[in-house]
Amino acid sequence: MNNMTLYVSRDSPVHRVDPMTKLLFVFISITSTYILSDHLAVLGILLFTFFILLIGKVFKSILPVIGVSFLLIASIIIVQGFFHPDRATVLFEIGPIAIYKEGFLIAFLITLRVVNMVAAFGVLILTTKPDDLVEALLQKGLSPKFGYVLLSVLQIIPQMVALTGKITDAQRARGMETEGGIWMRFKSFLPLLGPVVLNSLTETRERSIALEIRGFNAKGNRTFLYERKNYRYSVPFRIALIAFFLAVIAWRVIS
Amino acid sequence: MSVLRVVNLKYKYPDSHRFALNDISFTVEKGEFLGIVGMNTSGKTTLCYALSGLVPHFFKGAYGGDVYIGDMDVLSHEISEITAKVGLVFENPFLQMTGAKFTVYDEIAFGLENQGVPRDVMHERIRESMKLLDIEGLQGKNPFSLSGGQMQRVAIASVIAMQPDVLILDEPTSQLDPEGAEEVFRVVEKLADEGMTIIMAEQKMEKLAAYADRILLLYDGKLIEDGKPEEVFSREDLNEFGVEPPVYVKISRALGLRNEMSGLYPISLEQMPTERDIQFHPVTKTNNGNTTSELIVRDLHFGYEKGQDVIRGLNVTLSGEPIAIIGQNGAGKTTFVKLLKALLKPDTGEILLNGAPLSETTAAKLASRIGLIFQNPNDQIFKHKVIDEVMFGPLNIGQTGEEALANAKEMLALVGLADKADENPYDLSLAERKMVAVASILAMDTDVVIFDEPTMGQDVRGKSKVQEIIHSLHEKGKLVICILHDMDFVADTFGRTIIFSNGGMLFDGPTREAFAQEEALRLARVEQPNITKLVQRLGYDRIILRATELI
Ligand SMILES: Nc1ncnc2c1ncn2[C@@H]1O[C@H](COP(=O)(O)OP(=O)(O)OP(=O)(O)O)[C@@H](O)[C@H]1O
Ligand SMILES: [Mg+2]
Repeated sequence: MNNMTLYVSRDSPVHRVDPMTKLLFVFISITSTYILSDHLAVLGILLFTFFILLIGKVFKSILPVIGVSFLLIASIIIVQGFFHPDRATVLFEIGPIAIYKEGFLIAFLITLRVVNMVAAFGVLILTTKPDDLVEALLQKGLSPKFGYVLLSVLQIIPQMVALTGKITDAQRARGMETEGGIWMRFKSFLPLLGPVVLNSLTETRERSIALEIRGFNAKGNRTFLYERKNYRYSVPFRIALIAFFLAVIAWRVIS
Repeated sequence: MSVLRVVNLKYKYPDSHRFALNDISFTVEKGEFLGIVGMNTSGKTTLCYALSGLVPHFFKGAYGGDVYIGDMDVLSHEISEITAKVGLVFENPFLQMTGAKFTVYDEIAFGLENQGVPRDVMHERIRESMKLLDIEGLQGKNPFSLSGGQMQRVAIASVIAMQPDVLILDEPTSQLDPEGAEEVFRVVEKLADEGMTIIMAEQKMEKLAAYADRILLLYDGKLIEDGKPEEVFSREDLNEFGVEPPVYVKISRALGLRNEMSGLYPISLEQMPTERDIQFHPVTKTNNGNTTSELIVRDLHFGYEKGQDVIRGLNVTLSGEPIAIIGQNGAGKTTFVKLLKALLKPDTGEILLNGAPLSETTAAKLASRIGLIFQNPNDQIFKHKVIDEVMFGPLNIGQTGEEALANAKEMLALVGLADKADENPYDLSLAERKMVAVASILAMDTDVVIFDEPTMGQDVRGKSKVQEIIHSLHEKGKLVICILHDMDFVADTFGRTIIFSNGGMLFDGPTREAFAQEEALRLARVEQPNITKLVQRLGYDRIILRATELI
């Protein structure tokens, strides 16, 4: 986080793939899991995404995010397992609560999809420098306004972390206890929330002045500091991805 | 044709009742270096915004009159068209960073990419501007992990690289070490010689007097005078507008050194006579003998990243009279005081407050004993009402609501912001925000008060307020530690000075001796105070610290 991006600087084949190809991968990986409803197939796609993360040496970095989304996942399982309208077969019982098989299967599928979505975005965000990604999109003709909105979305988490650090410093410098056990941290979390949200709004406005004053909205042709080396395998990769996607659609239509 | 023409410009910020700019007219020719002077809130920053199109395009409000850049009027053109010709360096460098790039090198490139500058030219210009501002060593660093002064250099470089027709700088040297400030003036003068038009708001009158071709004097949104530096700075009523003339004018006035022909005073060191009989009576600050808290630092080491020590083995005892810390940008001064405040944890070594190690306590528990005013007030302020901000600390350290409110009000009055208690700090000027930060620490009545560049962006009145505050804290038996880049202020206010360089101390002792350490001063990239330089030019080989010592 020191660099204030989510990007993890490593030397890996995944890092070398060009941003557009990775973007295509994210799109296809996610939509495929929604087109398919076969558990095994979706699991396969998820495992493949994990595999890419492993090659990219960033698998560890995705775990906390999956951990956080687990709260969401757990609630899906409970709600679906409990209340799914087609419930018929009791899968197992926890005390008085019965979890039904139909609901559970659906919940399981949704879980796989959510985890895959998180992991697929992870492939893109953890292995691509945010400015490279935006630049690639700008080169493709995306409007700069949209490009920097996207960038600030990508930067939300690190920016919040940085801002939180600053405000915590300001608060503890003036006597608000923030160090210590879990309870202490939890107690100091609430008074942090308001300032972080409001200050990040101010900061966003300030950044937009900074961008504006450096002419990011200029109409003329823009140039780029670094020459993009054409990634050698981007064409075969993209063809493979699209072929896979077509196969997924075909399978769906047939079955 | 003039490069810049302002005709009857009037402007009011939204929700404000007074004109921030009130009927201002002037023109600027190509290659001129125009200085803007005026007290805080006189409208300098707003004028800079108006010349660069931020007013009225970003800051709405009531706008009248015209601003022409060449033949383009600002009102009916978009910001992107204006920025193609006009570059603006903000007062607070933090606001200049786009956040779109992750190294200093790329950050400087950002504007050039938008302008469509060809790649090889781009690399060339980036290198050149980094060289001018002496930041080549920082090119791979993240802009947000720089010291205040380093960031200010990057901000200037990023605008200079765009080679605008008109370059507007709003107090661009407020956080620079003295050498760095001198360099910026030299660079800007060179650019003006090459045909760039320069407009600079500044509080460093000696520098403006030496470098600017013309000076605008602003007061309460009005243009009081537009004239040659000699003329403006020789005005007898200058102080009424909250502006102090260069120290040379003050001395010359006292010594009666007026040019017979023009009736004007010399305004720069070069214009002063080289020999002159004067009487000195040096005053040594006497320590009032109050005992204060004591901070002992032993073999302190710290680095933000492994293997790169920013603080390299400091040993020092801090107690007694107020202490000034001076030294170059990035030397580690801010880092050092954050360690004293336990906001950062030492890698090795220890810090003792009255004999008790800091490592056994937390920043929050220290809050009632050590107060630190942050360098960038934006890092310190997080509430949306001035009074809430000032009351935050007192409430945390156990004052009752009433006590805290009374304290907060008293401190706001002390820093001159009593009437802004209910405003949002974000609507105040940078200098005012700094004062809010000062008040919010003073209200906690701590035994140790540490200021990180309190005079940054302050006008004469603000500076003398800070000076009074430091004196009265000392009177009350508090330990005051102060980081500064303003050597005149250091000479006038502090008995003890520490020269800091590269994470260590080059000198620690009486201020008068500190300013005699030529080698140490050079290494730490600081200068002697203006008055000291003057006395040496007059042919005396002694260190004089205050104007009152020689008249
Ligand atoms: N948060 C940070 N992360 C990494 N490096 C940092 C961070 N803050 C400061 N540094 C680096 O540590 C060094 C010392 O910085 P510091 O802010 O202490 O300098 P300073 O003496 O206060 O300078 P200035 O006069 O410009 O305020 C600098 O080289 C700076 O780039
Ligand atoms: Mg500093």
